[in-house]
Amino acid sequence: MIEALNLTRRYGDFTAVDQISLTVNEGEIVGMLGPNGAGKTTTIRMITGFLPPTEGRVTVGGKDLFADAVGVRGEIGYLPENVALYPEMRVSEYLTYRAMLEGMTRAQARTRLPETIASCFIEEVEDQIIGTLSKGYRQRVGLAAAILHEPQALVLDEPTVGLDPKQIIAIRELIRELGRERTLLLSTHILPEVELLCDRVIIIDRGRIVAEGTPESLKQSWIGATMLRVELKQGPEGVAEILEQIRGVSSVEPIDGGRSRFNLECEDQSDPREAVFRAAVENGWTLLELAEERASLEDIFVRLTTRDVTETPAPATEPSTKETGEPTDEEVTP
Amino acid sequence: MKGILAIMDREIRAYFFSPLAYIVAAFLLLVNGMVFWLIVSFLNNPQARFGAPLELFFGQTIYFWLVLLFVAPVLTMRLLSEERRSGTIEVLMTAPINEAQVVVGKYLAALIFYCFLWLPTLTYAGIVAYYSEVDWGPVAAGYLGVFGVGALFLSVGLFASALTRSQLVAAILTFALLIPLFTFGLLENLFNDPMLKQVFSYLNLWQHMEEFSKGIVDTRHLVYYLSVTVLFLFLSAKALEAKKWR
Repeated sequence: MIEALNLTRRYGDFTAVDQISLTVNEGEIVGMLGPNGAGKTTTIRMITGFLPPTEGRVTVGGKDLFADAVGVRGEIGYLPENVALYPEMRVSEYLTYRAMLEGMTRAQARTRLPETIASCFIEEVEDQIIGTLSKGYRQRVGLAAAILHEPQALVLDEPTVGLDPKQIIAIRELIRELGRERTLLLSTHILPEVELLCDRVIIIDRGRIVAEGTPESLKQSWIGATMLRVELKQGPEGVAEILEQIRGVSSVEPIDGGRSRFNLECEDQSDPREAVFRAAVENGWTLLELAEERASLEDIFVRLTTRDVTETPAPATEPSTKETGEPTDEEVTP
Repeated sequence: MKGILAIMDREIRAYFFSPLAYIVAAFLLLVNGMVFWLIVSFLNNPQARFGAPLELFFGQTIYFWLVLLFVAPVLTMRLLSEERRSGTIEVLMTAPINEAQVVVGKYLAALIFYCFLWLPTLTYAGIVAYYSEVDWGPVAAGYLGVFGVGALFLSVGLFASALTRSQLVAAILTFALLIPLFTFGLLENLFNDPMLKQVFSYLNLWQHMEEFSKGIVDTRHLVYYLSVTVLFLFLSAKALEAKKWR
């Protein structure tokens, strides 16, 4: 349904988006993930026709953006990143206006209005002036405007930004609902959102696609990042050295610099838990905890998008990994 | 077409919701009312020359032009620059309409509001008709001139608004473009060469209005307004397109 080929956007010498190609099939929900400034919004703006690409092509529903820009725009319902609305209009008035811009008649818009307003939970502000709405409501009004005319493809740039946790759950539910019969491309920097919603994930960093696949396949291919968490009842000097010598353990990282808790990074496809247990018995340590931590999407994301590290070849993966860095020491939670 | 109407409809509502529009309307009526009163009291003087008050009203006083030069930038400065500043342009430019439709929708809204502003001045004609006789032909021609010159000025304003995200810059730019457009014709008096004189006379808006107010409808003037208006609307659409490439 949505197809982008080698999209590139340069601003002078700066390349914001570099040769990004992506496909969103009909009825699929694809999530674009990336840190701030990675090029998500620029990519989305090129797909929706707001920003002309320096290079590359976009086709939506078989229509080419260059040949039939208006046609492509008609296929897409779009929620921009900065939901800009007209502050002097009332919510229902604005939604009617947007529907008419999309080519509906006033009567058609009126019939669609109650359903859309209900599904975006904005009934209570329907007659309110937009300028007086809170960020969360504005976000939902923007979303309502994007889906009101029932477009085949939806492009949502950070759809849950500015919502409270309860609303986030409700909007995700709505997005999942929409994704059943529509094609959906959404961008976010909230990881659980992608895992919950998307059939496929595209991770973007510095204007390039660094990994792509289903959330499961991404985890699968990055399984080498398995970590063991070990907690001892105050081990003696040299615990770390002994742990490090265990087969299958590639590195040992004391937590808080002490001698009781450690993070062990394991080699690919190895499970040194038993060996750690034996080491504890042999040395007379009291083992309080021994747990395996599988790589979460979060770890993969941090790994792929961490910047200030020396470049090393990527671990064996089938995704289109171009460059990656060593994981950083600190626990990074976005 | 639906898109044009949707934009026009929204824009007209926006005029009525903004205090600025009421300030402009009040200003226009205040000045026009004062001018009308001055003209009537001037003509009431037995020593004054013979003349029809409405003939003088249309374009024969400097106030008429000052008001127009002020009204056009104020009405148009918001139209496109505010969309760009607030970011609503993104919605407009990703809707299934092209730049030309956006420009035309906005322009029609400004033109309609402009006509609405002049509507109350019909009472002046009513007042004159009540106390004396009115020759409606020249009055109609006068309004046609008001419409034509207004249409021209508003298109220039819209173009300026397409160029910048600041309303203030748009207004100043409009003013800067309108001043030469208006004063070019006055240069007519500086030339002796018949060729040049004719060229500038063709551009002389003051002269045009004088003829309209006498009831002379010269289609050359109308063609001039129409062609310059279309030119500026075309430039506005192109400016809007070009802005995307930055």
